[in-house]
Amino acid sequence: MTRFAIAVGAAVFAVVLLAIVAAMFGHDPRQLLAILIEGSVGSPFAIQGTIKKSVPLLLTGLSVVIAFRAGVWNIGGEGQFITGALAAFLAAPMGWMASLLAAAIAGAAWASIASLMRFWRGAPEVLTTILLNFTALHLLGYAVNGPLQERGAQYPQTDSVPGGAWLGTIESTDLHHGAIIALAMAIAAWWLLYRTREGLRLRATGFNPSASAWAGIRVNAQIARAMAFSGALAGLAGGIELLGVTHRLFERFAAGYGYSGIAVALLAQLHPIGTAASALFFGALVTGAGELQRSAGISSSVAVFGQAVVILTLIVFGSFRRND
Amino acid sequence: MIEVIAQAIPLAIVAAVPLLLAVEGEVIVQRGGIINLGIEGMMLTAAMAAVAGAQASGSVLAGFCSGIAGAAAIAILFGVFTIHLRADQIVTGTAINFLALGVTGFVYREMQQGSLFVQSVAHASARAQNGVVILAWIVIPSALAFGLWKTRSGLRLRACGENPEAVTSSGASVPMHRWAALLIEAALVGLAGADLSLALSTGFAENMTAGRGFIALSIVIFGRWKVRGALIGTALFGAAEALQFALQAATSGVQFHLLLAVPYVVTLLILCGVAGRVRAPEALGRP
Repeated sequence: MTRFAIAVGAAVFAVVLLAIVAAMFGHDPRQLLAILIEGSVGSPFAIQGTIKKSVPLLLTGLSVVIAFRAGVWNIGGEGQFITGALAAFLAAPMGWMASLLAAAIAGAAWASIASLMRFWRGAPEVLTTILLNFTALHLLGYAVNGPLQERGAQYPQTDSVPGGAWLGTIESTDLHHGAIIALAMAIAAWWLLYRTREGLRLRATGFNPSASAWAGIRVNAQIARAMAFSGALAGLAGGIELLGVTHRLFERFAAGYGYSGIAVALLAQLHPIGTAASALFFGALVTGAGELQRSAGISSSVAVFGQAVVILTLIVFGSFRRND
Repeated sequence: MIEVIAQAIPLAIVAAVPLLLAVEGEVIVQRGGIINLGIEGMMLTAAMAAVAGAQASGSVLAGFCSGIAGAAAIAILFGVFTIHLRADQIVTGTAINFLALGVTGFVYREMQQGSLFVQSVAHASARAQNGVVILAWIVIPSALAFGLWKTRSGLRLRACGENPEAVTSSGASVPMHRWAALLIEAALVGLAGADLSLALSTGFAENMTAGRGFIALSIVIFGRWKVRGALIGTALFGAAEALQFALQAATSGVQFHLLLAVPYVVTLLILCGVAGRVRAPEALGRP
């Protein structure tokens, strides 16, 4: 319960600090808070917008939960998100299921490059995953300006994916079915971590790798599997964003969802079910920040600022226990 | 083609200066047992602070000082969390990168909309630019090699990275040495950020560091935490950059986007090219 209170406190503090900083630059903090709240949860339309942003955040958050629980620094959610979306785009003519499957596999494969580099060459994954993000970003830039560019080649973007692969919407809303898939993944991740031997071994590896090795766990294989699971979730997030929301790829497709997953997971204190609540909070923050940029001219990058404040506040409260 | 590459080499030496300064700064802190993943945000903050300082004062020198002050502010935040609160260094570094990205993005937009925005920023003169190049490639590495291996404080700092308990029991303070290392890094990274925005480009752009901090961390590992290794690693990377510049000049169209990925792929190869397992400072990353 105290952990829950600390998480809520950190989230509230981030929003308050944001208002203070904006006030320092001559904005009206009350107006800012009003826009932030109105733009994220003030109307059914805003709430649907928030939920839509929360779907990829929930999946990239879960991706980070799995990796950090296993003690592996996957900072590569952004790149896995992009490669997942690229694979989903290529597989889209075969329908949405094949497309999402391709997204998960591509994300896992992209993440596994970092595992390979770690085990063969001793390269730390915290750096290789970040470098793979930049690589994926420019691959996407190449794809949408080159081989995958739309017919007519007017803008640096792809054609829309075939209508048959679009994710359907939930009745009487414009929420796509990806929301259900993401929630199912949260439950699956919880089940994996707490109700299976695989999850026990995974958590043990993160908690104390050398003790785990003594207990007969093949630590390297365990880490490689955690990395692949983690990458698959981030890749799936990219695929769902493509089939459910944007329907086409463009240079700024990833929009920081991969990186944001880190803040989402840490606010949830690496718990899969808590991640759903955390994703809703950051989804609201991103949606509200978008509204701030449109109607008050304040940069939407304040959402990233909010993420940083949340993480640092959690550290201060010392509640941030990586393993328990 | 060879002519084009020959022309690109001097360009690469100048262009690699911010990276080299960052590598040198990171060698110091990692020798003291700290991984500063927030170096990317530190450089970005410095780049913006330098522009703001140069605009407010009209002086390039004040811009450079302002850049260093910006980096120092980030260093103090990082130090309070990792040295004082003993927080996880990777998590803190990641949060600091978010913070820098968010704050600079926010301030940049405010500058564009408010009266703060001036179209042209004071630009570093050719002489000042050459000065920074000599500083980064010759003066600082010499001072660093001497300071780390030939002085008592250098020995103590390295001991902080290998066996902090021994330093404590010898009566010296691990936190003090780590703080000193962090502030020296801030000076170097502040210089790097200012060089980036005031000398290599004409002002600030969102996320203009483009991963240089992470590339710097990779080169530190490649160089095995040694000054000579840092120079060789940066030179190797710079040569790859020169090749990329040459190819950019020679090709056109869509291949350009693929060439943009080259620095990151080269860095990945550099990281994997470290033969066998390298030995990091023993206590690296331990709070």
